[in-house]
Amino acid sequence: MNLAVESVTKSFPGVRALDGVSLTLKSGEIHALMGENGAGKSTLIKIITGVHRPDAGRVLLDGKPVEFGAPRDALAAGIGAVHQERNLIPRFSVGENILIERLPTRHGLVDYATIDHEARRFLDMLDRGIDTRVEVRTLSVAQMQIVEIAKALSLEAKILLMDEPTASITEHETAALFTLLRKLRDDGVAIVFVSHKLEEVFALADRVTVLRDGKIAAADEPMATMSRQRLVSLMIGREERVARLGKRTVDASEVVLEMRGLATSLGHRDVDLSLRRGEILGLYGLVGAGRSELARAVLGGAEMTAGELRIRGTPARIRDVHEALGKYRLGYISEDRKQEGLILMHSIKDNVAITIWQRLAGALGLIAPRSEISAVQPFVRKLEVRAPSLGQSVGNLSGGNQQKVSIAKWLAANAEILIIDEPTVGIDIKTKTYLHELIGEIAASGVSVLLISSDMPEMITLADRILVMHGFRIVGEVANDHRYETTSKAIMGRIHAAGDARPVAAA
Amino acid sequence: MKVLRSLLLVEWSGLLAAIVIGSVALALVSPNFLSEFNIYVLLRSLCVSLLVGFAQMVTLGVGQMNIAVGALGGLVAIAFGGMMEVYGVPIVVAVPLALLIGAAGGLLNGVLTVRTGINGFIITLATASAFTGIDFGITESIPFYKMPPALVAFGDQHFGAIPALLVAPLIVAALLGLFFSRTVPGRQILAFGGNAQAAELSGIPRGRTVVLAHVLSGTLAAIAAVLAVAQLGSAQPTIGADWLLLSFAAPIIGGAALTGGYVSVLGTMFAVVLIALIQNGMVLAKVDPYWVQFLLGALILAAVWLNRWRAIRTGTGG
Repeated sequence: MNLAVESVTKSFPGVRALDGVSLTLKSGEIHALMGENGAGKSTLIKIITGVHRPDAGRVLLDGKPVEFGAPRDALAAGIGAVHQERNLIPRFSVGENILIERLPTRHGLVDYATIDHEARRFLDMLDRGIDTRVEVRTLSVAQMQIVEIAKALSLEAKILLMDEPTASITEHETAALFTLLRKLRDDGVAIVFVSHKLEEVFALADRVTVLRDGKIAAADEPMATMSRQRLVSLMIGREERVARLGKRTVDASEVVLEMRGLATSLGHRDVDLSLRRGEILGLYGLVGAGRSELARAVLGGAEMTAGELRIRGTPARIRDVHEALGKYRLGYISEDRKQEGLILMHSIKDNVAITIWQRLAGALGLIAPRSEISAVQPFVRKLEVRAPSLGQSVGNLSGGNQQKVSIAKWLAANAEILIIDEPTVGIDIKTKTYLHELIGEIAASGVSVLLISSDMPEMITLADRILVMHGFRIVGEVANDHRYETTSKAIMGRIHAAGDARPVAAA
Repeated sequence: MKVLRSLLLVEWSGLLAAIVIGSVALALVSPNFLSEFNIYVLLRSLCVSLLVGFAQMVTLGVGQMNIAVGALGGLVAIAFGGMMEVYGVPIVVAVPLALLIGAAGGLLNGVLTVRTGINGFIITLATASAFTGIDFGITESIPFYKMPPALVAFGDQHFGAIPALLVAPLIVAALLGLFFSRTVPGRQILAFGGNAQAAELSGIPRGRTVVLAHVLSGTLAAIAAVLAVAQLGSAQPTIGADWLLLSFAAPIIGGAALTGGYVSVLGTMFAVVLIALIQNGMVLAKVDPYWVQFLLGALILAAVWLNRWRAIRTGTGG
């Protein structure tokens, strides 16, 4: 099946998301859709899947114009998608989520045995470690992403749209996904692939279309003749820049955050960790290693069952984020910025100022809008948040800009220890470089950063030391020489050694 | 330890414990508690309450609220009584007609919610007022007293301590349990309540799902109304006036997520039993009935706190 989008235009309040955009998808082809955050990729995908209706232009399936009133129309026409947003039902099982579009029934009743069996089939193509019967809400973000992909695969669609499917999964799972996508392509499926990881796009795609600011920057070009440099300059309108991280000196004597033999009710055992002042300490691990869970436990989300947590030398037990920030000046930037980090309905100003309202409030406990704006403005400007005004609601911003807002929030709050969880998931190159420099700057100014990331290059660019986590334990420490080949090898070595010694604990 | 942990995971575990402990305590304190008559009274008071709880549970499942549960119940009750007394409609016709009126009221709630895009809370707040207005407008606050003898007899019939009326909520409970766990429309309601956007992107029709939940809620409220008429032996316009608090208390104490997407039929039933037990105990102890209201409030708080605590203990999140 072939699909064509013809000069589609779509506007949202205050933004023209797409302006005369066309796209041609041919059966048996993987088509990369590239562009910076806010370039209009997700909007285009949502038009093809019937979530949005175009203001002008049309969509053609095998030459015939189609109009999708709702996502179910697109599904019925054989178009499947992995959307950027999380689209799972938290209290349903993994299996039921995967097959939700067409729950199998027997004698009119939902047939869970068939669900588990069928879901297993699609899940096994990617990850055998996820149980189809557990509720989705107990999974990690990465596992949820795997489930989303399995869900899209289960449609056995003729046209498959993937909006950042690899944003939060490991290299190993990405490799499995790519093998699968190539096979689907050879079977005649038309695939659209959106990713910010250029290596992936070059490894996978046959053709590429580039969007910039809602317009076509390059239309349907063969990937074989595209160079990395040209692709980047098409996307950002100029040359790519390498992150410049100034030299920092870490004072090894001043430990701000320390864990000794820590165990949690989530399954962590014997976790030793010490974060020094002004240091960026990396915490690397594969999916289900227990990194984000450790951060959550420190912040009072789970019980510490043994061991000790010390902050600036004194034993600490944090009940919630409010106490973390108020009493210990410790902030947490969640990997799930949409669900945990930001209040999407509220303005940029309110989202940033939320942590400092108490400080801003005047004598009567009232907050003057002007003092709020003057407190927020420098951070928003510094991070180059792209929005018409501070009053813009965060839900209307692109992913990169949302992440900038959630970082600005903690900077404004003057946190001295920051736990940053996957800071650049789904964020474009330009903003990523920018965020890396920013994290470097924060650390240079004396803030201590515990960086959680599955992005190996990111880890190697930023971290001073890297702790490797596996099966809810720390299995080793790697001194970072900032050279990809040696450091990545050292990290993977630790993981494999631990994996051989002990089976991976279920997350 | 493992057994305890898996028991903890079940929403209604605390409720069951409370019911058992409460019953034992009541039996020890008051010998009357275990008398056949008292148990009959207790079970009889459950029938309407169970359906009221179910009626709200269904809308909570789709992530909405039905403030009109009681108002619609009142309207159905007088329509049911009125058609039998004034027009002599036989019971076998009047019951389905009453359920149809309930379903129609729910349909109105659902369609208004979907079409206007206004939150169901506001819509049902408005229709509740309208239903109550019609109810009292038609009856001028005067009940219909002349109910068919067969209906009244059914309302009073019992086998030992078991009232015949109890059959209705038990059948409904079994069907609802099956509906939410094993049928596609039931799963779709919960999917929609759990994550509306995800459900829609998965091709679940938004309008149809929300409307279905409201229709079901209206129908269950109508069954409650019919049972109330049978139990009272007359169609009072005030039927339903005191349902609202109970309708939320039962499913929430029973473990339903207020944000939608999760309900427990068994939990709701245990919650209703617990509430009835408290009321019964208060009567036996001759405590001012207004304190029942207070205890109900405290119980809701305790239930929500228990759920939260369990979520942290078991690490399953909110």
